[in-house]
Order: sequence, then C-alpha cells, then structure tokens
Amino acid sequence: MIGNIVVKIAFASAFLSVLCYFQSYRKRSGTYLPYARGSFHIAVLGVMIAAALLLFYILTHQFQYTYVWNYSSTDLPVPLLISTFYAGQEGSFMLWTLYTCILGIFLMQYSMRKGYETEVMAVYSVILSFLLLMLVVKNPFAYIWDTFPNELIRSGPLQADMVNFVWLDQARGMWAQFPTEGKGLNPLLQNYWMVIHPQVLFTGFTTMSVPFTFAMAGLLRRDYHDWVKVAKPWTVFAAAVLGTGIMLGGFWAYETLGWGGFWGWDPVENSSLIPWLISVASIHTMMSQRRSGTFVRTNFVLAILSYVLVLYSTFLTRSGVLGETSVHSFVDPGMWAYWLLLAFITIFTTAGFGLLVMRLREMPKIPVEHSILSREFALFLGASTIVFVAMFVLIGTSSPIITEILEGKKSAVDQSFYVKTTLPPGILIALLSGIGQLLWWRNSKKGKFFLSLLYPFVGALVFTGGLIVFGMRDIPIAIFTFASAFSLFVNVLVGYRIFKGNPRFAGGSIAHIGLALMFLGFVSSVRYDDKATVSLEKGKTVEVLSGYKLTYVGYHPLERERYAFNVEVEKDGRRFSVAPIMYYSDFSQGLVRNPDIINLFTKDFYISPLSLEEPQKNGTRSVTLRKGESIQVSDVSVRFVDFDFSDVQKGKMLEGGSFVIGAILEIEKNGKKERIVPKMKNTRGEIEYVMAQSSLNKNEFSIVKMMPDREDPSNSKLEFSVRDPQSTSAAKGEETLIVEASIKPFINLVWVGTLTVVLGFIVTVYRRRQEARGEGE
Amino acid sequence: MKIKIIIASLIILIGIVFGAVSFMESSVEYTGFSAAKSTHRKVHVKGEWVREKGGEFDATKSQFVFYMRDDDDEEMKVVLEGAKPNNFEVATSIVVKGSYQNGYFHASELLTKCPSKYEGDAESVKKML
Repeated sequence: MIGNIVVKIAFASAFLSVLCYFQSYRKRSGTYLPYARGSFHIAVLGVMIAAALLLFYILTHQFQYTYVWNYSSTDLPVPLLISTFYAGQEGSFMLWTLYTCILGIFLMQYSMRKGYETEVMAVYSVILSFLLLMLVVKNPFAYIWDTFPNELIRSGPLQADMVNFVWLDQARGMWAQFPTEGKGLNPLLQNYWMVIHPQVLFTGFTTMSVPFTFAMAGLLRRDYHDWVKVAKPWTVFAAAVLGTGIMLGGFWAYETLGWGGFWGWDPVENSSLIPWLISVASIHTMMSQRRSGTFVRTNFVLAILSYVLVLYSTFLTRSGVLGETSVHSFVDPGMWAYWLLLAFITIFTTAGFGLLVMRLREMPKIPVEHSILSREFALFLGASTIVFVAMFVLIGTSSPIITEILEGKKSAVDQSFYVKTTLPPGILIALLSGIGQLLWWRNSKKGKFFLSLLYPFVGALVFTGGLIVFGMRDIPIAIFTFASAFSLFVNVLVGYRIFKGNPRFAGGSIAHIGLALMFLGFVSSVRYDDKATVSLEKGKTVEVLSGYKLTYVGYHPLERERYAFNVEVEKDGRRFSVAPIMYYSDFSQGLVRNPDIINLFTKDFYISPLSLEEPQKNGTRSVTLRKGESIQVSDVSVRFVDFDFSDVQKGKMLEGGSFVIGAILEIEKNGKKERIVPKMKNTRGEIEYVMAQSSLNKNEFSIVKMMPDREDPSNSKLEFSVRDPQSTSAAKGEETLIVEASIKPFINLVWVGTLTVVLGFIVTVYRRRQEARGEGE
Repeated sequence: MKIKIIIASLIILIGIVFGAVSFMESSVEYTGFSAAKSTHRKVHVKGEWVREKGGEFDATKSQFVFYMRDDDDEEMKVVLEGAKPNNFEVATSIVVKGSYQNGYFHASELLTKCPSKYEGDAESVKKML
C-alpha cells in the first residue's frame, strides 16, 4: 500500500513540475523555477523509494504482492532474484521510470549549465509524468487477494497453525490467505544475460528521450541551430548504449536461447532496432548541420521520430496488438494501459510534429551550396538510406496492424521480407560509409577524389574476386561483400591517417570499420552457414558437415533436474567436448533447450539439442484410452473394451503370488473386427509385459500402465503402446540424441564488429562532449 | 544542384516502390487448409492439434509429424521441420506457417497459443498457499 501511495505522490509532483516549468517558460521568469526543481526532485525521490520498496519485497519474498508472486520464487539466487524486478510489465515500467529519474538529475544539471533548463526539463517532466501515470495504472504493488479475490478471500474461523494470512476486516471475520511460494522466473530468462541486458536496453530507451527534449526545447525557444551542439553527445551516447543493448540481446539469443542465430527479426528485437537506426541517421545529419548548417528540419524530424518510435515500439510489444503473430507471448496489459500507451504516442507525435510545422515557416532557409561530390550529400543519402531501413523494419513489424486495417485480419510478413528489403540499402550504406569519408565538405576535387577511391576499390575487387573463385555465387551477396570490403579498406586508410593526427577524431572511422566488419560477418555466418540434423546413437560416431566426427557419450544431471548431454567432437585430430542442455520446465510446460558452442578462431561449431529418443519408443506410439473409448492408430481403429481380471484370484494377489491381467482391445479394419489381449504377468513382484499382435495390420500392442478405477469402473483407463514392426525408424538399440549441428564461419567478425562500432561511438561521445563543453561555456 | 535532387527523389521513389512490392510479396495470409490446397503460396493456418492421432518425431528426417484440425474443421497431416515445439501439449490452439504439398501441409514454423494466463494463475495460486 505504501508503494502505491508513494507512486501517486511522485506522479502528482512530477505533474506539478510540468506546470511550474511551463509557467516559467511562458512568463520567461525564474520565479517558478525553484518550485519546478523541487517538485521534480520530490518525484525522483518518490520513484527511488518505490523502486527500493519493490526490490525489498522481492528480496524478502513478500508473496502477498501479485507482482512478486508472479515473477519470483524462493529458490532463485540473489542476482536473478534482483532481475525479477523487471521480469514483468509493471516492473519494467518501474525500471524505465527509475532510469528516467536518475538521468533527469544529470540532465537538469547539464541543461542548467547550457541555459536550456526551462524548456528541456518542461518536456522531460512530461515524459516522467506519463511514465508515472503508467505505474499508477499498472501498479506493481497490487495485493494478490485483490487480483484473485475468489481464490484467496475467505471469512470464518482461521486454521490453527496458519501464518500466511492477513485480516481484511477483523470485525466481520474477513481474511485473506497468500501464497508461500512464487511462480518463479521463466527458465529462459534464468541466466546472467537477464541481469545485464534489460538494464542496458532501458538505459538506452531512457537516453533516447534526451535528443527529443532538446529538439522540443529548440523549437520552443526558436533556437534552430545551437540545440544540435548540446544534444549531439547525448544522441551518440544513446545510440551507443542502445546499440550495446541490442548486441547483448543478439548474443543472448545466440549463446543461450538456441535460436541458432543472433538475429531473428522478431518484433521484440526489431522494436529496439528501429529507434536505434533513426538515432544513427540523426547523428549523421546533426554532424552535417554543425559543419555547414544544412538539415535544420531533418534534425528536428529525426530527433522527434527517434523517441516517438521508442514509444511506438513499446506499444507494439506491450499492448498485445501483435496477437498470435509472434513467437514471443505478449501479455495483455489491460485496457487502461493500452489506451494510455496509445495516448502517450499520439500526444508526443502531435506535440512534436505540430510544433515543428508551426515553426517551419520562420526557420532560416539555408541556400544549398554543396555539390554532388560533397560530404553533405553523401551524409544525406546515407542518412535517408538508414531511415529507409528503419521504415522497412517498422512496416514489417507493424504488418499485423497494417493488414488488420486494410484486410480485416492480422497477418505477419515472412522473415524473408526483412532480408530482401535490407540488403539493397545495406549495399548503399556500405558504399556511402566509404565514399563519404573520402569526400570534403561543400565540394571535392574530382581528380583527387577518384584517385583516392583507387586503392580501396581495387582492394575490394581483389577480395571479392577471390571469394567468387572460392565459391561465392550469389550476385547480390557478392555486391554486398564488395561494398563492405570497400568501406573497410577506405575507413582503415582514412582512420589511420586521422589517428596519427588526432586520435580523438577517429571515432567515425572506427565505427565504420566496425560496421564493415559486421557486414562481412553477416555474410559469412548467416549466408554461408552450414547446417545438418543428426541422430547420434549413444557410442556410435557419426561424421557431419565434412569432417566433424560426433559421438554422443551419455547425459549427466545438473542442478535443478536439468540434464547436460555430452557429445565428443573430433575434427582433424583435435578433440572437443560439448554439453548442450535440455530439461522439462514446469513453468513453460515444455522442453527447454540450451545450445553449446565451440568457438574457434575462424568459425563457431554450434550444437543445438532437439530431443532424446529412448530406445523402446522408436517406431512405437503410446496411447491412453478410457474404457469404451476408441482411437485411430495408423490404419486400424482400436477400442479399449475392459480389463481381464479372470486370472486374478484375490488370494494369490495378496500372497504376492503370480497372476496375469489382460487388457481386451478390439481392433477394426475395413469392417473386420478382432479382439486381442496384451497381458501383464506378475511373478512374485517381477513384472513382465506380453504383447499381442493384431492379425489385421501386424502391429504389436503392449500394456504400458493400467489405471483401474474401483469406485467407477467405467472411468478405468489403460495406457498401451503400439509398435509397427515394419517401421523404418531405427527400432532397437541405444538411446539416440537428436541434434542440429551447424557451422557459422567467421561469426567472430560480427562480435568484433559490433564492439568496434561501440568503441567508435564512445570515442565520438568523448569528443562531442568536449566540443559541447568548449564552446558552450 | 538539379542532379542532386533527381538522384535523391529517385532513391526515395525506388525505396517506396521496393518496400511496397516486397511487403505484398511477403505478407503471409491466415487461411484454412482448403484455401491452402488451392494455392502454393506460404500461408498461416490456425487450428488445433488432433490429440487422438498423436504426434511423432521422425529422427531420420528431423521432422515432427502430427494431425491438425483447422478452424473450419478440416483435418490435415502436418509435417513440421524440426522437433516438437515447447508447450505443444498444453497449447489451446496452434498456428502453422508453410505451404501445402502433395497430401500434407509442410510447415516451417509453428506458434503455440497457451491458455489464458489469468485462468492458469488462478489455479496455480491455490496450489502455492
């Protein structure tokens, strides 16, 4: 209850802060500023208390709170227990709000120093208020008996030894019982990635709001140029953090979730990629505006768009609109949260673009002076291509909504849509990221420019030519490879020159080198991966994927009823062992599979377990029938008539003597009927099952389990198995592990590339911060 | 100056057309098995697993074979590339993505829809008292 009240107070004071900041903007006076700052800080304090409370409830297992019960349990280790804070919607909104608050403290200081406080913080408090309103609606502090009143609220006398209850109304004898154990955390989330990845992602989402607030501030105060300088380090920082978050997500999917790759074009992944792309485009156009005053409007559009898209992505993945079209299951957040999110997007979009349109006419028109061979034009083309990629991904991800509006029913685009639409822009981006580095601002000398293209061009040509000789036959992929190699060579050359001069200016080249490496990694590891599904009979060596000898040697239990399946791998005399994991999870009521990877310098050998086939089950199926029921098994119909207890004499059974129980099955095929009786023989406690063969289709029927019901004989059940002796599947023998083995050539390029991109971003943040500081004070 | 504008608008135009065409091509419709039979395009079919007929994993081909009844009550054999999906047994409905081939539906993907969370939760909260 306290938590709830604290959240409401925080919301009220955040709202007060909005009013005060806007008042001081309108009156252009500092009278209201102390109140605005004060109430903002109260809101921050409130959120911190609320977050601390939630964490405390989680750590002390207070299952009287629905949220705590829903996502945590007593058996979780502490880091994972902490991570359940943001395992559900309510908690992840809480985390987002908390980060917005923490960032808000720094932003207030920063904007004060730059003289932007009133406008920036006015908009920022609106964002905070909305997030807090969301928390009021999606309250993480709801009591469990309010969520499940029918199950938990009782009246009347208490049980003597009960401790897990609270009085709701002692006078009327009303009380509620609460659980002593929680439902626990989804096993797929139970690893260290869960501890880092969401944190980084939400930091990224939070920082994305800063360029937006600066753009809005710029519009509010009719400052069309200087805001860019102040906002730029934040934009680069946001892109760096969100990019890191996306990369960690990809690595998580690859390493633990067993998706087979690092990217699945899933709505959840796409929804963080879209705003990231826009922010990257925005970095490029901001740079151009700083240099030559171009792209004034574009920069406003992109800064507004990047945050609106963060909100839209949140809406897509949290409102349940995507329905059944994704592998992720989206929990319906309830009507209130749905409309609130929608209102959030609408208001920010109309406010942002509305204000932009209002100011459009008075914005200075910069006469375009740059030629076609200018860095400005290359940046423009590059940025628009990136925006195109973002739009394609956005359209694809929103396809269930689009098709529902157009055709009345939801359908999702196939994954191939993304591959197809991003490849041509990818080629363009790679080329431009090379060419742009060789061009000068305003205009370049033709001769010099073409001369500088020569070495990288020839280098890329030789590189790609080599690969074509080696077997690369796919033309678009070859062009993409050429473009990426070209960009790599250009940026290495240019980067080296810059680095010799002033390392701090090398951020751009470093990021582009990373990008080119990443692109090459995409080609090698995704387009030229090699896959095979293998059945590994225990102890028998099977050779797959030219030269990998796999031997399944058995499984061993890990903690918490998980099993590791040991596979020996031998390649050219080198030996490795891998142990992918499979286990049955009560939580998701299904098999959970974790892959294992051998990381070699030039490739990954990736083993993902599919299933373990026990020997007796091969070629057989097992069926459970109630008395009188029938079922179709291959080409015959089988009815369970009754148990046959005729051989059982009570005396014998009690003495532990031998007896036989049969199960009468009626087999029917094309109108012909017959009865067969598989039996269970009990010889002094030793049980033996005797199969019965049908003369109609030669299948063998055996008893697996008998479930007679003495009180209601018609409810007796029988589990039996049917085996087709002619079945082609490997019948007898050892247990067999089915795995998918794949080779991902040069996947290390993807990881090294992304790290290099992030490094480039960091160098740039550092430099832009110096720039913003040096000229701003 | 003029060339720049032409290049820029050309790129934008190509982008839009390219995006729209790819979208139309890649959109995978939701239909029933009867409609899937008449087209060879990739479609989504929603329905239920025919529990009585079981399901079998063919280890040699790495395919999971089962029978499915779509929302129009039409039944068809489905061959899924890969192992039996998680949650398959508890799913209230399933969606397969793929195309019809001689006599069966060849699915490349399968999504499971699980019982409403609230109902499940009301049951499980009682067990944890």
